[in-house]
Amino acid sequence: MSKKIEGIWIGEKDLTRDPEFIKDARKELQNSNLIETIGESEEVEDLGGSRRDFLKMMGFGVGAAAMAAGCDIPVKRAIPYVIKPDEIVPGVASYYASSFVDGGDYCSILVKTREGRPIKIEGNSLSKVTHGGTSARAQASVLSLYDVNRLKNPAANGETMSWDELDTQVQSILSNSRGVRFVTHTMLSPTDKKALGEFIARYPGASTVTYDPVSSAAILEANESSFGERVIPSYHFDQADIIVGFNADFLGTWISPIEFAHQYAKNRKIKDVHDAKMSHHVQVESQMSVTGSNADNRILVKPSEQGAAIAYLYQQVMGLGDRSAGLNAEAENSLRQLATKLTSHKGRSLIVSGSNNTAEQVLVNALNLSLGNYGQTLSFEHASLQRQGDEAELAQLIRDINNGTVDTVIFNKCNPAFEYAGMPGLQDALNSVTNKIALSYQATETTTMCDLVAPIHHTLESWGDAEPKKGLISLIQPAIHPLFDTRQMGLSLLTWAQSSQLDSSAEQPYYEYLKSNWENTHFANQSEYQSFQAFWDKTLHDGTYSGNGATKITTEGVRIDGTAAMSGISRPEEGTLEIQFVEPISIGNGQYSNNPWLQEMPDPVNRCAWGNYLAVPVDYDGKKKFNGLNGLKDGDMADITVGGATYRVPVVQQFGQMKGTVALAIGYGRTAGGACAAGIGNDVNPSIGFESGRAKYYSSDVTLSGPKGKEKHFSAVQYHHTMGVTAEDAHGEEFNADETTLAPGYGNIFRGFQGALVDRSIIRQTHINNIEEAIEDLAHEREHHEGLNQETLYPYTKYVAEKYSQGHHWGMHVDLNACTGCGACTVACMAENNVPVVGKKQVARHQEMSWIRIDRYYYGDVDNPNVVYQPMMCQHCDNAPCENVCPVNATNHSSEGLNQMTYNRCIGTRYCANNCPYKVRRFNWLDYTTADTFPANQFSINGEDIPYGADNLTRMVLNPDVTVRSRGVIEKCSFCVQRIQEGKLTAKQEQRALTDGDVRTACQTACPTGAITFGDQNAKGGELSTKFESPLNMIVLEETNVRSSVQYTMKVHNRDESLDV
Amino acid sequence: MISFYRRLFSLLLLLPLSFSLMAQPSADAGKTLFRNYCAQCHSKDMKTVATGPALAGYDERWADYPQEDLYAWIRNSQAMISADHPRATELWDEWKPTVMNPFPNLTDDDIASLFLYIDEQLAGPATAAGPVVSTGEAADTSGEYNWLYWILFAILGALSIILMRIIGSLNKVVAHQEGRTVIEQPLIKQIFSKRVISFLIFGLVVFGGYTTVSNAINFGRQQGYAPDQPIQFSHETHAGLHQIECQYCHDGARRSKHAVIPAANTCMNCHSAIQVGSTYGTAELTKIFASIGYDPSTDQYIENYSDLETSEIETIYKKWITDKYLEDAGLDELDSRGNKLVNDQWEGIVTSLTNDQKKEIPGPIEWTRVHNLPDHVYFNHAQHVTVGEVECQSCHGKVEEMELLQQHAPLSMGWCINCHRQTEVNFEDNVYYASYESYHAQLAEGKKEKITVEDIGGLECQKCHY
Repeated sequence: MSKKIEGIWIGEKDLTRDPEFIKDARKELQNSNLIETIGESEEVEDLGGSRRDFLKMMGFGVGAAAMAAGCDIPVKRAIPYVIKPDEIVPGVASYYASSFVDGGDYCSILVKTREGRPIKIEGNSLSKVTHGGTSARAQASVLSLYDVNRLKNPAANGETMSWDELDTQVQSILSNSRGVRFVTHTMLSPTDKKALGEFIARYPGASTVTYDPVSSAAILEANESSFGERVIPSYHFDQADIIVGFNADFLGTWISPIEFAHQYAKNRKIKDVHDAKMSHHVQVESQMSVTGSNADNRILVKPSEQGAAIAYLYQQVMGLGDRSAGLNAEAENSLRQLATKLTSHKGRSLIVSGSNNTAEQVLVNALNLSLGNYGQTLSFEHASLQRQGDEAELAQLIRDINNGTVDTVIFNKCNPAFEYAGMPGLQDALNSVTNKIALSYQATETTTMCDLVAPIHHTLESWGDAEPKKGLISLIQPAIHPLFDTRQMGLSLLTWAQSSQLDSSAEQPYYEYLKSNWENTHFANQSEYQSFQAFWDKTLHDGTYSGNGATKITTEGVRIDGTAAMSGISRPEEGTLEIQFVEPISIGNGQYSNNPWLQEMPDPVNRCAWGNYLAVPVDYDGKKKFNGLNGLKDGDMADITVGGATYRVPVVQQFGQMKGTVALAIGYGRTAGGACAAGIGNDVNPSIGFESGRAKYYSSDVTLSGPKGKEKHFSAVQYHHTMGVTAEDAHGEEFNADETTLAPGYGNIFRGFQGALVDRSIIRQTHINNIEEAIEDLAHEREHHEGLNQETLYPYTKYVAEKYSQGHHWGMHVDLNACTGCGACTVACMAENNVPVVGKKQVARHQEMSWIRIDRYYYGDVDNPNVVYQPMMCQHCDNAPCENVCPVNATNHSSEGLNQMTYNRCIGTRYCANNCPYKVRRFNWLDYTTADTFPANQFSINGEDIPYGADNLTRMVLNPDVTVRSRGVIEKCSFCVQRIQEGKLTAKQEQRALTDGDVRTACQTACPTGAITFGDQNAKGGELSTKFESPLNMIVLEETNVRSSVQYTMKVHNRDESLDV
Repeated sequence: MISFYRRLFSLLLLLPLSFSLMAQPSADAGKTLFRNYCAQCHSKDMKTVATGPALAGYDERWADYPQEDLYAWIRNSQAMISADHPRATELWDEWKPTVMNPFPNLTDDDIASLFLYIDEQLAGPATAAGPVVSTGEAADTSGEYNWLYWILFAILGALSIILMRIIGSLNKVVAHQEGRTVIEQPLIKQIFSKRVISFLIFGLVVFGGYTTVSNAINFGRQQGYAPDQPIQFSHETHAGLHQIECQYCHDGARRSKHAVIPAANTCMNCHSAIQVGSTYGTAELTKIFASIGYDPSTDQYIENYSDLETSEIETIYKKWITDKYLEDAGLDELDSRGNKLVNDQWEGIVTSLTNDQKKEIPGPIEWTRVHNLPDHVYFNHAQHVTVGEVECQSCHGKVEEMELLQQHAPLSMGWCINCHRQTEVNFEDNVYYASYESYHAQLAEGKKEKITVEDIGGLECQKCHY
């Protein structure tokens, strides 16, 4: 029973006005006070945590503080270089172009280094693949460089050894081996592949096994069958007017999300309001994916119905009649409508599928071919190489091991024992291999099985190259000397192959190898540069190189036999419940799980951090109740049995989740790999089935229990820091829960500001066809707000004229139509501003520290809602309510319109956080950064020995231009004031006016879609002031007269109602 | 009860009196004032002509005029010039176009303090470098007025006892007249009564609080800090005698937040040629050679220097020191004095280049940092040196006269703020400031004389704290 809801909602607790949730919304913080917080710390729990103990401890604390402060100022050393490198000026950052590569994940990056240590990743705008965008994974990679759990030395069965010893052992193993297999994820590097070629040639019987942590093998196979080459085409989402995604999370995890998000957003931004155009995006899926949450229409089909859905659309487009494929009736109807639309947009649509069934992918090819999309919205020029793996090779490996042809396996930075734990026989086969060698970055479930471990460099320590798309190549250059006794994979291979082309006496042998490879290939194929050095310098500087991406494939005259393919598709399965396994945007299939930044980044859709939550559908009873499946509510624990294995998982009620289906993320529940990876969430990889050799990421053999208690630390952050939550008083009258805390306990509720309006302006959204009307409404409403705001003793316009009319007046613009919710900005902000990680326990207490959060709101139909993402950070209000209540003036306003937070003045009253309508201020409840030395204040994320961030290695990632906050102070978004100051200084030194590019905030540079624009409101004609002129702009909570400096566009969607019927 | 409050009141009245004593003119206060306001233009020794005239003999030069004129001149010289004051005009003719900053906020006491300080500077022996001040020592308290306090304290004490007696007697008389009986209390009991003791405790708390706060403000400040350095590097020789530009060595100052302590290879630019120092001979310069691995005997950098054993390094540098000694002394063989010298100098190298963390001689010279800012302060040299065109000496003092470098300025927030209040921004020439349209208009209309750093937000928290 569907229900249209006016306005936006957060989740089930919001719609049902859950008393606990309302209680929390009315408070600045969850029901917790200082003593409780300290009492939760591991160290203090031992003390019993009674009030007396607490006071005793405080007494000790004061005494110790006085002692520690002492009377002597410590003598500090100033250590200069012995020989200063020319290119380093201490205090000035250097940037090196490089690439982030992990298996098939790719991003062209600039590495920001300070005094020789990488501290931040920026996008490389020269890249023709990523166009300066980044992902959360790329942003977080700088932290994994300083991971305390890295493998630091070559080792045999845990015993440290030298590289010479290891090489001797490996070589003797290899030369006595019957068969060698090199198991790897997708390799993007042409030079690594050349080295691998030499290695394979050296040892007869050696070969490569390539697989991907999440398989896309079916696409490769389908393209081979349709067009004769095993590649993935180059997609052009910006050229498509209609985008149909069959469970392909192309904005989140599928193949090349940064590239696709960049293209996708081009057609989602409203360029001209009078002639508004945007693409129509339809997503066919059961669970709400990041991509699905951005779609205009979602057609709900069960995971097992994907094949039928593709086949049905194919039938309709080809006019093959109306045979039912066993698909649910609503979906059939929607797909029929969609087919009509598609046929009228020939050459202007794009159909993609995340299916791992070859026949289904062949049908998708047939659809694109018959719709004339090849050459328009997808092509084989610059074909994508980002997925090359095939799990069938792993299956072959098992057979080879079992029949004795293989007795040596080398694992290259891959973890099949975890990723393919569900593959029958893999575990036993790997156990039975005589020689197991791991080239690995950190301990994994696979390395623990290996006899010999050859630790590899981090990408930021390596030389290399990457070819994510044919002919579009980027270089990898080291930004720091290797921190430990590691060696990069290519060099290990060449050493073991005793390559004649390797000059091992060189200072950097692999660098020479890389250069000579480039000299013989790319340099030889170009004519622009006469000398190799000039060519090399230019390429290394830019980081990217465009070569020949031409293809032999022609789609002209190709015929795909769709009818034949129809027989190979997966069939809808019987059963009342199906589960879809999804790759989380943060940690992949466990490759990134030891990165606390990624663990703490909430999932964009279900907004849960630190663990995988089972998404269950919400059932609306038509009146008031929104029941979860089996009576499960947010934060309940439930037992789910998939194919015999039972997991106890926390539950989140997911709007948009199809009835009769549930979804759960893979990649969690690692058992090795360090404190942040091990034991977080549940590992469901063993339940991934295989059908005709292909990994099948869904199952219908599922049973789900009712509630089994509550999760101890339920960490769904969308329920934290809420704005404008509506509650009901005893008489059923609605009021705004945020603004009624003035007189609690007096029976009748004291109305807050402006009578605690329940209709606070947070998000506005409209259909593209109603845009003119919506603009008028918005203008009217803003006029009304201005009228409210004029009722003040202190006229604002006069104030502005005096205060901000000259110099700079900083502001920000966020285009909600471009924001896909990917989370790159949140991780970039943590890296830039030394934002601490607090761990699951603290997140559950509403104490996450992120300065920018991406709020996710639903709107429209309860059963099949649309989603809007709203990045929310300090709004730098020019009439800021936080400033007025600070008793020590620690937060105040600058003449440039910045809401300044001065940590050394803050005494931690938290009045400001209490008074912030946007809930963006964060308090350091504990010593998250170990800036002070009392153990009772320190905390651990997941029972690690050294508190996270306390060791000198992890601290190397800190940005030296930003203060590390200690316990007891408030912090919040500063608009990257360090970047503002740096940009201003550059302009002043060069004696010129400040221009748009001078100051770009961390969130802005991280964004793959250009959703965030930062700039000077006073710079007329500048990027920001131009964007501020759009009539689509709104200001959040404008009616409160806080004079925010951040403007958001209205969310415009293109939902086609005809698909809903 | 009433009588107690009366007593309390009379004592409270006296309290501010005792504090007001502290505001008397003093050379000490003058020193601070001089540093904050005058030292940028007037030389500290009062005898050298700097941007402004030497201040020695100010009283003689103004002897013909009433003292108020001199005070007025210091507060606002331009006003005096406009008013055609003869002495002012004379000075203007001599010094124009250099304008002396107005200091309208200086009180008579402040100016008197300044004069006291100037006189003290002239009277006291001028030392080349300040004494080594131990870290964290609070500002030295002069004992000048201490005896006054004690006398006053005694007088007040006696007075309060007398007053107590008088009031007591009067109370007794009143009580007697009203027919009440009063229990006679001896003086000693009255003094040690609860009331007096609690009042004394109250006084102690006030005094203790005051002392704590004033000391706490100074906590962590290190003005005058001049620690011994691993190498007895003399700024006086380099910047003073040889007039080497500050930024030749401190090359970060113009382009970075850090001024940068030069790397050893910067030293070698000159010292590969100048291998024996004028003051310390081989003792100090050999430390640089030992740090970077330069063998002055052969004029070569030593290959794989960091892999050498300490004994090998010892041989190389002892040979060099010996050779130089023999050459100087005209000897063929080391005498006992020479032996001692060689061993002492080698010991010096070892102690200077190694410490708890750094065990090997090769590697950087670990200097002791003189200017320390708290972690929550962001300071950028380029902003001040390149954009603000502030002279290095404004903050670092006359480094070219310092044998041992010492911290000249207090580096306190008040000191920073003060300068930001007074310093004029180079507003006209730098195109960057064109966006401050209203200020430009005000300048053109003459509504504003100058734009200070304060005007463009130089006092705001997040200019330095983020």
